[in-house]
Parts: sequence; structure tokens; C-alpha cells
Amino acid sequence: MIEVKQLKKIFGTNEVLKEINVTVKPQEVVVVIGPSGSGKSTFLRCINMLETITAGHVLIEGIDITDKKTDINKVRTEVGMVFQQFNLFPHKTVIENIMLAPVKVRKVPAEKARAKGLELLRKVGLESKAEVYPDSLSGGQKQRVAIARALAMEPKIMLFDEPTSALDPEMVGEVLEVMKQLAKEGMTMVVVTHEMGFAREVGDRVLFMDGGIIVEEGEPKELFENPKEERTKSFLSKVL
Amino acid sequence: MDFRWDLIAEYAPFFLKGTLLTIGLSIVSILIGTVLGLLIGLGKMMKRKLLALPFKWYINFFRGTPLMVQILLVHFGLVPLFLGTTNAIVAAILALSLNSAAYIAEIFRAGIQSIDKGQVEAARSLGMTHVQAMRYVILPQAFKRMIPPLGNEFVVLIKDSSLAALIAAPELMYWGRAMQGQYMRAWEPYLTSAAIYLVLTLSLSFLLSRLERRLATE
Repeated sequence: MIEVKQLKKIFGTNEVLKEINVTVKPQEVVVVIGPSGSGKSTFLRCINMLETITAGHVLIEGIDITDKKTDINKVRTEVGMVFQQFNLFPHKTVIENIMLAPVKVRKVPAEKARAKGLELLRKVGLESKAEVYPDSLSGGQKQRVAIARALAMEPKIMLFDEPTSALDPEMVGEVLEVMKQLAKEGMTMVVVTHEMGFAREVGDRVLFMDGGIIVEEGEPKELFENPKEERTKSFLSKVL
Repeated sequence: MDFRWDLIAEYAPFFLKGTLLTIGLSIVSILIGTVLGLLIGLGKMMKRKLLALPFKWYINFFRGTPLMVQILLVHFGLVPLFLGTTNAIVAAILALSLNSAAYIAEIFRAGIQSIDKGQVEAARSLGMTHVQAMRYVILPQAFKRMIPPLGNEFVVLIKDSSLAALIAAPELMYWGRAMQGQYMRAWEPYLTSAAIYLVLTLSLSFLLSRLERRLATE
């Protein structure tokens, strides 16, 4: 589903990603953990080309997005993304936020997009907020709307970039709950997070990144209980 | 000092005619200047420096030289070049539009650049093209932030349109000067003109602050 081959990313003289090789299978939930500055967010942002890729290849369902001939906008419609800072459109109501891309990009009729949007809002428990502006929502509600907005494009893959890091502690749970539900329904997900509990419970595989490389990867139980690398051990001892 | 209200009453039809032309000049110039300003602002933001350069220099020129010089250049140089003969109203509209476009371009640029990068990223991650992200996400938000500085620019433009009197475009100031010449009075024509300009600029400010309130999302 996602194949990342020898991915390299350099910002100026700073080599953020050294050589990343990852394959994500359909319906798999891959959780990426690691200290800040380890390159995990950059890695995630390379998967839908929000960052230009310095070298290497990223294939989404067999399509090489680093190929200049690839229509990246088309690939992105299949790859939903949820951001740490939500990035809802403040000038649009909740339902308009959700309908915008389906109507403008997928050319779904407005009525159909609205019905689908309301259904998604029901799914994330915010149907009553359809007509309000994002500014009046709490952080957790905003993030749930952001998830609904990404799902409205009916993506095959969902990327989560530290979705709970900007939230007050009591709101983390409601967002993770929605993500768990999504994983259960078989969504292919790549999640960058500091929520070790989520990684352990929901992840099929955990990648530990540090210094621009994947230091260690494995099933959550294995990686959390028997880390092989020293760096993994020292990181886990600090966060667990 | 006696203030001759009767002279103002006598001259009222000319002030009315002048005011209508001032409003017309201003509205047309604001519209052209805004469209042109958007294009120039977007041009200056182009990533390739060489392509952005002409837009940068357009702004440098029109901000860095007096409007009066520009009006004279357009009136006696540019318009005859294209129309064969000159036309004061066309020249006034052209000079005011070109001039305000330079300022409006900078207002657009500041407005667009003030929008958080995450907004474009969210729009692009949903599959929108750069143009769609601009049109549906960035520009509507930027526009809201641009209303106060745009309002300033429009007020300046209304006042600056008085310079068109120099090239004998029969707008408000032209009739003010004509009245002074005819009656050899200073207070009546110029205070009347000032009052009318004030009404125009205050009305505009009022309309813009209403627009701003209507676009509020909280």
C-alpha cells in the first residue's frame, strides 16, 4: 500500500532523514515513535509530498509520487492527513470544512456531500456542531472534525501527525477513541504519536525513529517489552 | 468674515456633478486597482526571483514616485500614445488604478502571507490544487484581514482623485477651483469640497466596518 524506499530528506545542510525503508500493508496500523527532532513528522509529511523529497522513492498503491509525471493532487485525495494543529478552515463552518474538498475536488454534488458530512460528524460524535465555526470548538472537538474532514474524501490511507499533542490531557481520549474505531474498521494508518498506550493497543507495528533513521521496528508488545537497541531502551525508559 | 451660503447654493449643481465624477473615478479605480493589485501581489510572491522582478519594480516605481508625476505622465504621455489624443477622465482613472494597484499588491501580499502555513497544507493534503487552495481557503481568510488596510487605501484613493483637477478632469476639486476663480472666494469652495470629501470617506469607512462585522466568524 505504501512503499518507502531509501527516502532521504535534507533541509539546507541538515540531513533530517538519512535512509528510510518502510512498507505498510493494507489495513495495517503503523505507529511511529521517537524523540523530537528524530524526523518522524518529516517522514510522515514525505508520504503525501507536503515535504519535497530529496532522494529515494515513495510509492502509494504502486504509484511513485516522486515521479514528476505523477499527479500528486490525485494521489493526495487517497491519502488523508490529520495535523497536530488541526488546521481547520476558520472561515467555514464545521460542515463546510468537511464538504469543501469533496465538492471542489471530487465534484460530489453539494447535497450528497452534506449528507455524507453529517454522517461522518455523527461518527465522531459532533453532529450537533455542524453549523458552528471551528473557533467555538474545544481542541478535542476540532481534531475530531479534522478527522471527519479527511475521511470525507474517502481516503484509503490516513496519516496522523501527532494528533493529540496540542490537546489538553482530558481531550486526548476522545480523539484516540475515534482513531481506534477507524483502525477497527480496517483503515490503513500511519500515526506519529507520543501516546505509548495507543501505540501498544492499536498499533500492528511500531517504528522507533531517532537521528533520521528507523532504529528499531517490531510488534508493539515485543518492542515495548524487549527493545533490542540501546537507544530504544533509553527512550522508552524516559516515556513509559 | 461673512460666509456666502448663497454662492454655494448657486454652485451646487456643479458640486453635484463633480461629486458624481469623483465617486465614479474612485469606484472604477478601486475596482481596477484591486484586480491589478491582486495579480501584481501574486506576481511578486512567485518563487522564481526573475519572474517576480518586474512586479517588484512595478511596485517600487509606483510607490516611489509622486502620484502627481504619474498623472501627468499618463495624461500627456501614455494616453495620447494609445488613443492619439488625450482624455482627462481616462488618464485619471488609469493613473489612480496603476498607483493604487502598487499599494494594494502589498496589502494582498501581507494578507496572504499572514495566513498560517497549515491552512495551505490542509487544503493541499485534501487534494486541492494550488489554485483551489488559494481561492477557497487562503484568499477568503486573507481578504478578511485585508479589509482595514484596504479601507485605508480606498480612502487615500478618494482623496488623491482630487489631483485629477490638475489635468482638468471635471471632478469635485476641479469645480472647487473653478468656483474660487469665478467668485474670488476661498472658504466657500474649499470648505464645501472638504465637507463633501469627508462625507464620501466616512461613508466608505462605515460600509467597510459593516462588511468586517458581517464576515466575523465568532
